[in-house]
Amino acid sequence: MASPASYALRRHQQQRRRPLQDDNWVRSDGRGFHQCRPAFLRTGAARAASGSAYAEFGSTKVIVSVFGPRESKKAMKYSGIGRLNCNVNFATFSTATRGQESDHKDFSSMLHKALEGAVLLESFPKTTVDVFALVLESGGSDLPAVISCASLALADAGIMMYDLVASASVSCIGNSLIIDPAAEEEDCQDGSLTVAFMPSRREITQLTLTGEWSTGRIHEATELCLDACSKLGEIMRTCLKQAVSSST
Amino acid sequence: MAAVKEDAGGRGGGFEGEMEVEAYRRLFPLPYYERHLLESVRPDARPLSSARDTSIAVGAVSSADGSALVKTGETTMLAAIKLEVMSPSQDSPDEGSLAIDFHMPPICSPTVRPGRPAELAPVLSKQLSDVISRSKMIHLKELSLVSGKAAWMAYLDIYCLNADGSLFDVALLSAVAALAHLHIPLVSLNDEGRIIAVSGDPSRKTTREVVNKDKRKLSLNSVPFSLTCLLHKDYILADPTAEEESIMDTPVTVVLDSLDCLVSLYKPGGAALALTSSLKECVSLTRRRVQELRSILDEALQSTEMDED
Repeated sequence: MASPASYALRRHQQQRRRPLQDDNWVRSDGRGFHQCRPAFLRTGAARAASGSAYAEFGSTKVIVSVFGPRESKKAMKYSGIGRLNCNVNFATFSTATRGQESDHKDFSSMLHKALEGAVLLESFPKTTVDVFALVLESGGSDLPAVISCASLALADAGIMMYDLVASASVSCIGNSLIIDPAAEEEDCQDGSLTVAFMPSRREITQLTLTGEWSTGRIHEATELCLDACSKLGEIMRTCLKQAVSSST
Repeated sequence: MAAVKEDAGGRGGGFEGEMEVEAYRRLFPLPYYERHLLESVRPDARPLSSARDTSIAVGAVSSADGSALVKTGETTMLAAIKLEVMSPSQDSPDEGSLAIDFHMPPICSPTVRPGRPAELAPVLSKQLSDVISRSKMIHLKELSLVSGKAAWMAYLDIYCLNADGSLFDVALLSAVAALAHLHIPLVSLNDEGRIIAVSGDPSRKTTREVVNKDKRKLSLNSVPFSLTCLLHKDYILADPTAEEESIMDTPVTVVLDSLDCLVSLYKPGGAALALTSSLKECVSLTRRRVQELRSILDEALQSTEMDED
């Protein structure tokens, strides 16, 4: 049965275009410009995996499972060091209008690059560690949420890492810098900066900058991201400690 | 760790004598299970006829019109419904439509990998849509908006987040719970003949007429519930885990509705032959399970209604 053509209701008739020069607008969820959404993190969300984690930042909800280290695909060439294989999927109901289930190749490769620098690939030679993510609800800042959640899942699976990877993003709208943007804020942003950061080593594994920025703004936005990542890193550490103390 | 003293399954060599339990379980799964079955108990301490604990949380996905998260043991399913508007077909101008899709993303099991979708997923999709349409749980007429012009197209997507056996049972329960939770938004017809949403704010009176004032919830009449049992020799194991399903391969799935009518009985091959008596036993186990599931579902729906009031 071919499904007939259908269209989604438009609930927000017009995207509110903000007066760009005005600095006094209020964010839709009432947060301050430099205030992140509350984070909720748990490990052990899917027992079938070697390690897993669930993360919730406001209405952004992601789940990540880690499998392995296990045998690499037959077609893969021999490799003396381990491989990290990342895949990010969006649930059909995760976005405002129903999407098609598809691999997000760009997100998958970004996730891979953000984690690669933190994982000790030499610790599992010739094998592959699979990191699979499913975005259950896309409420903005999806990639940072996936990266943070994935590093938590890797830790839960006992994969050796130099440090946890925490990630955060900043949107530039007019003259304001807002941290941890929600989906509707991302829709009307002029530029964005995403940073993946290892808090204890103070090293950046990935930095993505889009849009037009002045050097001063970049510095300001990077500081904001690093600060948010350090705080998130603490929450992730607490979550892991809790998981260990509750299991013993 | 305790060593296994004797070989009850009558298989394998003499080295089993000093083997550790965990190793014995992996090397000789069937004898391991049969030793438990002799004592009428399963490795997770359940009696043979007991299902695992089940919990339902409705309204788990805020971006959907209806949703439910269901957990039975470690098997976890997330079902969500998104409503879209379509033009109904010529044959049934006053009926909406329901499309059911079951997904097994790579996160749910070590056997599913990206690019190689699980064979089971389309099979379960078909079974779920068959059961839900045959059970007449939903009146498609309730999904109609303007006869011949517009109707709801309900997309019900079920995601398996963790696969640990009895996938069909848990998927069906999550689908039913999501349908019971479905909130249909208020809509009206605009000048171009398209359906648009009406904001829930009653103070802002719109000039347009709301077309579905009294059709905000689906009235579910006979709700289907199911139970899968494994047949092995003379034993019947209710609600098997993934490990049990991989060792003993004769499942029987019985679907009964809340009026106690048989909706579907499914035995896809397997080594054991189903005798009339064992099928009867499966049906009576299902009957008991239906009572359990109904009260769990009612409780979950009631507690969210209280939250929303």
